[in-house]
Amino acid sequence: MRVRDTPRYCAAMRPVPAPLGAAPAWPTRLARVKRLALVVIVTAGVGAAGCGTAPGERPAAVATPPDSSALELVTAEALHARVREPGARATLVNVWATWCGPCREEFPALVSLAERRRTDGLRVLFVSADFDDQAGQARAFLARHKAPQPWLMKSGPDMEFIDGVDRRWSGALPLTIVYDSNGAPVEFWEGGADSARFEAAVAPLLASSH
Amino acid sequence: MLRPLLRRATTLLATTATLALLALPARAQIVLGDAIPMADVKMKNVDNKEVTLASTAGKKGTLVVFTCNACPWAKAWESRVAEIGNAAMAAGFGVVAINSNDPSVNAEDGFAEMKKRSKSLKLGFPYVVDATSEVARAFGATRTPEAFVFDAEGKLVYHGTVDDSPKDVAAIKNFWLKDAVNEVAAGKAVTTAETKAFGCSIKFRGKAAKAAS
Repeated sequence: MRVRDTPRYCAAMRPVPAPLGAAPAWPTRLARVKRLALVVIVTAGVGAAGCGTAPGERPAAVATPPDSSALELVTAEALHARVREPGARATLVNVWATWCGPCREEFPALVSLAERRRTDGLRVLFVSADFDDQAGQARAFLARHKAPQPWLMKSGPDMEFIDGVDRRWSGALPLTIVYDSNGAPVEFWEGGADSARFEAAVAPLLASSH
Repeated sequence: MLRPLLRRATTLLATTATLALLALPARAQIVLGDAIPMADVKMKNVDNKEVTLASTAGKKGTLVVFTCNACPWAKAWESRVAEIGNAAMAAGFGVVAINSNDPSVNAEDGFAEMKKRSKSLKLGFPYVVDATSEVARAFGATRTPEAFVFDAEGKLVYHGTVDDSPKDVAAIKNFWLKDAVNEVAAGKAVTTAETKAFGCSIKFRGKAAKAAS
């Protein structure tokens, strides 16, 4: 279901809840279709009346094409299914928010890592934990930083999502988890990090032979 | 002949060590039943007087909330924290709001802003500075806001968030903190003792500050 830009009322950007179910670990064609049915495209009129931007953020200077404006809502279960999808030696999940200072600070290093290590088998999944009515700001931030797709946004009750992602997670942001190719978590931390820490977390997995 | 065995043993040990590390919590945290940590540490209140958690403990129980001025989640819940805290005070609780954030990360978390916030929210309880962030570390607090409720004996009986709807009061389904305070005040066991929500990571001072923010 698509919610088109709502240039006048940001509150109307609130995504329409879709029935969310579990995606299998190794998605079939049917599962992909199902997952698409779960997707809610959230778009927002950047700079529209009342939208504003997160503190310290500038509005996006360039309008982004429709495809890159997609934010896919994910439950913890759907996120785990994404992590277990084949094709990556390592998957780094970063849960962030536009209002979170340490998240914004570390973001460029993560985007750079994703680009640099993509051909080595690294998949990076950015998951926004912004409030529903800040989806437009999240999308603008991702576009401005040229973050790799998919752009994900957490869905469902907070506590369910937090415990579903990892029971060790207190709920503090940012959160980074690095998974191996089987979807097993090998690194977990709350709070910001720098390029060196990100690189050190993924390097052993990307170097491992398959 | 021994080499393959040694290799297997090494792999097994490495795997066990990794799993053991994964099982550890991100930060040591007090658990239900624990006493108030660092209860004798003096912290500066917004009225410039020093208070300790021991000195503010109430006859019915004690509510400690780690919060700050700048975090959007803390802001979203601040009026409810004020309301619950003031009601808890009236019910015989000791209540303390603690700001453990390093204001050099965000000036809005400074003492002057704390004073303003305390006044505007009409806090009837202390809003203090954890000047070394050591109190937050001792609690194992990681985010703002994060609440801890201790019963009349000083044992932790609730740890978690305020409720399940930070921005939309009308959508609240679970009044976890309020219910916990009311249950403790009534001498009952807390129904839901541990909850979670998103929050800003605490901007710890010192060495940990570099790792956490």
